Parts: sequence; structure tokens; C-alpha cells
Amino acid sequence: MRRAAILALLTLAACEPGSKNTAQLGYRGVGMEVVTDPDVQRARLAANPVPAPLPPAPPGGPVARWQNVQVLNELSVGEFTRTMTAITNWVAPTTGPEAGCNYCHNPANLASDEKYPKVVARRMLAMTRDLNTNWRSHVGQTGVTCYTCHAGAPVPRAGLWTYTDQNQYLRAYLDKSDVRVQSYAALPTTGNRSSIKQTEYTYALMINMSNSLGVNCTFCHNSRAWATWQGAPATRVTALYGLRMVRHLNTGYVAGLGEVLPDSRLGVRGDAPKVGCATCHNGLHKPLAGAQMARDYPGLWGHPGPWEAMTAADSGKSGITDYRDPTGVPTDGSAPRLPDAIPPSRSMGTPPPVRSSSAHAPLTRTAAAPAQQR
Amino acid sequence: MAMLSFEAKYRVRGGTLIGGDLFDFWVGPFYVGFFGVTAIFFIVVGTLLCVWGAAIGPTWNVWQINIAPPDLKYGLGLAPLREGGLWQLITISAVGAFVSWALRQVEISRKLGMGLHIPYAYGVAVLAYVTLVVIRPVLLGAWGHGFPYGILSHLDWVSNVGYQYLHFHYNPLHMIAVTLFFTTTLALSMHGSLILSVVNPRKGEAVKTSEHENTFFRDLLGYSIGAIGIHRLGLALSLGAGIFSALCIVVSGPLWTRGWPEWWDWWLNLPIWR
Repeated sequence: MRRAAILALLTLAACEPGSKNTAQLGYRGVGMEVVTDPDVQRARLAANPVPAPLPPAPPGGPVARWQNVQVLNELSVGEFTRTMTAITNWVAPTTGPEAGCNYCHNPANLASDEKYPKVVARRMLAMTRDLNTNWRSHVGQTGVTCYTCHAGAPVPRAGLWTYTDQNQYLRAYLDKSDVRVQSYAALPTTGNRSSIKQTEYTYALMINMSNSLGVNCTFCHNSRAWATWQGAPATRVTALYGLRMVRHLNTGYVAGLGEVLPDSRLGVRGDAPKVGCATCHNGLHKPLAGAQMARDYPGLWGHPGPWEAMTAADSGKSGITDYRDPTGVPTDGSAPRLPDAIPPSRSMGTPPPVRSSSAHAPLTRTAAAPAQQR
Repeated sequence: MAMLSFEAKYRVRGGTLIGGDLFDFWVGPFYVGFFGVTAIFFIVVGTLLCVWGAAIGPTWNVWQINIAPPDLKYGLGLAPLREGGLWQLITISAVGAFVSWALRQVEISRKLGMGLHIPYAYGVAVLAYVTLVVIRPVLLGAWGHGFPYGILSHLDWVSNVGYQYLHFHYNPLHMIAVTLFFTTTLALSMHGSLILSVVNPRKGEAVKTSEHENTFFRDLLGYSIGAIGIHRLGLALSLGAGIFSALCIVVSGPLWTRGWPEWWDWWLNLPIWR
């Protein structure tokens, strides 16, 4: 009897008891739904706290004229200082001789670029503005801040990756777009040259996205036909633009930081850390559960500045280069594809236009309550 | 109508659970009974409701006819007929017909003075169905979690519900159920081939006995479970398959919401090597 009780306890310990939240994602009856455990969701939300915004800067005031400001150069002095304070809180909040402002700045000469984090931060600011201005197809009106990824630490808390022996599939986050491996015709044909290995890469990539967002396959796909847009949730369109956005961020801003970063920040193969879905999402299908942090910081919106020229000046190279694995494991010899290219012959129609990102929001803080609760 | 030799034993009065002598009669070779009447009622009503659902649907293509459960927003309440209410009525009819049939089996078993193996065995299949369309939806709080009535649409449900847990083959109870299904098939094929061979001897030879059967499997496997044993084994395997099928789906959602591969983290987290 006691043995049976212990066994039952052990079995239950591997379960999620209690009521569940559910939400419907598609036509009734075909299993297009999300079932979540409130305790699991609470833990995920607790891992993503949202800081309160800084008090607003006094309106108006003269536009600042600084010696070496290349991105935030249309802000008033008050707003500029406020933005700097926010960035310090978001990225290097600890105190110490090499922390706080001094993490990036030489206190004797704030304009100096002698510390590499300052160069990185400038590029990240350009990237943030690019995201918030040009990638509303993915970030909507919510946008991102430094905190979305950094969450109070100089290195983002999750989702950065460098090449190892086992993660070639992550190249889809960089410059490889042919993740579509399914045939669209019945019976074996010579039209589809996808190998088992490519198929495994696609599966691994999808699981990486699933883990990054804390969602299941049917959050974006109708498994009746994975590749078609018909019958798929609108979230899949957001995810497609997200994948294109990540490629743009990595090829345009992040992967090239290998020229700037010290060796201690590089991967085992000497490549710079690159971002993935988890870098922002960290287990939630909307980063920070959809909290509108960027709205309070006008410095994070607007023109990203001449980032390609800045990137070239930093590295002595042009902005976009071939950032394939430095050890050259993929050897197809082809030129890198455009980050967002899907071969037209393999695509399944055009993705529908992006819809309001609040269409399906079972996990957001802003949504009053999930659709169903027992 | 001529009777088969064993029908004299079958056609005895009494043993009814309900209705006394009222429905204790036969129509041709078929026993009726109270539960025969209720079964016919539910079968006719349910089938006509299905036909109605097809008639108000977009197609008569038998593959594509789909009578779907309600949207989740209706919870455990009644839905309008065209928006899942029909599915609810058909589900009531189906459960009514299945349960009637099982109780009719009980009455016939009592007439024959035999055990209740047949209604129990059939009851496991009914339990699996009830788990899918009643128990799990009630646990999750909405009838919309049931599967739709349609040849292709119910396959869509199976596929999508499986992928909600990323990889359903990692569901430990699904593993056990699948293993039991395959073992049932293996046992049936071994038993069936043995019986076919012993009752179809070569020309001029006599039908073989159980000694021959036992010897064959002792030679092949080192063990023969015996004539009664194989039927007990078959029952245990097949009922186990049905029971673990019901268990593997009823825990998916009510007791586990993440991917099934992730469930196995308990193995990686065992204190011996963590």
C-alpha cells in the first residue's frame, strides 16, 4: 500500500495537476487550440519581469549637439539623458568602476569610442530603431527596447548562439532560407532534392522556435498541411516575418560584431554570437508578454542612421558579408541568399498580409482573460 | 425458421436486467430485450442526425462530411444546433446506443449462464470513445475538445492534437498502448496460424490435437501458453491496448500541456546523475 502510494506520488510529480486554460486557434473541432497550465505560465511570466518606465523628460528643450553621437542625434538634452539612464538600467545596471555608465564610456571622455561596448551599443541602437521602424510586420506597435533581450545584463539572457558541431541548422537564423523540405506532389519525384539531413535541420529549427516561444506546433501550423497558408493561424505570418527579421538582424548588425568583440565574447569557432527567436521571446509567444515598454522611449523610434557606413567603419568591411560558419562546413559554394528569399517555385502561394497581432493572445498580460478557463 | 443446435440454450427466458418479460422475445434470430429497443432507438436517431448534419453541410462527399463539436466558447453548455449542437445530440445518441448494446450483451450472457467477459471487453472500447468525447472535454472545460464526426476531419483532429504536444510518440502511455496493439496483432497471428494449420491437415492425416499445438510452440519458443491461456492473453493484451489508449489521451491536456519529449526530463533530472 505504501509502495503504491509512493509510486502514485512519483507519477503525479511528473504531471501538471489542476485546471488548464484553453484557447481556440482555428475552426472548431479540428484540434486547433492551445492548452496551457496556469502554473507553468506564471513561472514563465515570473521569468520575464517588466521594469517601470522612467519619469518622462520635460517636453521641448533644445536638441542636443554632441561630439560623437550618430544615432540619438535628434533628441532633446533631457530625453537624451533619460534614454542613456534607461539603457544603463537595461544593460549594465550594476555599480562598480567598470559598470553603469562606465561599462561603455570612458568617464574622462564620454565621446570616446575606445571601449568596445560603446561601439556595440551604437550598432544595437541603430538595430533597435530599424526594428521598431521597419519591422512592424513582426514587432507590431509594441516594438522592442534594449531590455527586451538584455533584461538587466550586458549579454542577453537567452537565445544567443554560436556555431558548434551540432547546430548547423541554426544557419536558418542567419542567411539560409530553404527550410521547406516537403514535396507538394504525391509519390516520389525528382523535383524535390531535399535530403533527410535538411529535413532534420528544418525539424530542429522548428523545435528551436517552439521552445523559444513556449508554444506548440499548432500555434502557427495546421498540421493537415504544414506548408499551405490556407487554414493556418495568422500567427504563422508573424513568425515568417520574424524569421526574416532575425536574418536581417544577424546579417546586418549582429554577426559582424566579431570584428569588434574581444575573443572572450566569441564562440568556440571564433564567430560572433547571433540572435534567435529566444533572444527576445525567452519562452513567451510575445516578448515580455506584450508589455509596451518601447512606447515610453521616443529615442528608440526613428531613422536608424547610416548603420551600413558605421558597420563598415567599425570593421573595415562592407556591412553585409558572408557570415557562414567560419569553419566552412556548408560547402555548397553558392553565394549567400538574400535573407528573405523563398524560392518562388517552392513556395505555397503568397502569405496573407499581416493581421492585428492581438488576434490570438492567450498568454498576454494585456488580454483580460484567456478564452476559456475551467 | 430453423434453429442452430446451440440456439436452444440461447433461447431461454429470464436473465433480463430491466423490463421483465415485456421485451424478452426474439425477432428471427435476434434477441430484443429492453436494451435492444433502446439501442435501435439511439441508432436510428443518431444516424438520422448524422444525415441531417450532412444535409445542412456543404458537401455530400462521404470523405468530407464533417459534423464538428461546438466552439470552445460554449464551454460545457449547449450550443446552437448548426454550431455544434448537432454534434452534442449525436454524441448522446452514440453513448446511448453503445451503452445499450453493452447491457444487451449482459442480458444475453446471463441467459447463457456465462461470465461477463464480452460486455466488459466491449465496454473498454466504449470507455475509449467516452474518454475522447466526454471525459477529456469535461476535464478541459468545453465540449469543443471532442473530435469531429467526419472521415477526414477526425484525422485532422488526431494530427493537430498530436502536434500540440510536439511529438505524441514520446507520450509514455501512448508507447504502452501502441506496444499492446502490436503485441495483440502478433499474438493473434501466431494463434490463428497455429489453429489454421492444425485443423487443415494434409490429405490422409487427422486433425491435430492440443498436444501438437503445445509441442509446436515449445519447439519454437520454449513455451506454450495453452489453449485457454492464449485467449486470456489475447483479452488482456487487447483490453490493455484500449485502456492505455484512453489513458494516453486523457492525460494530454488535463495533466500535461507541454511537449511530450520534455516530459522525459524527469529521467535527466534523476538525483543519481543530475
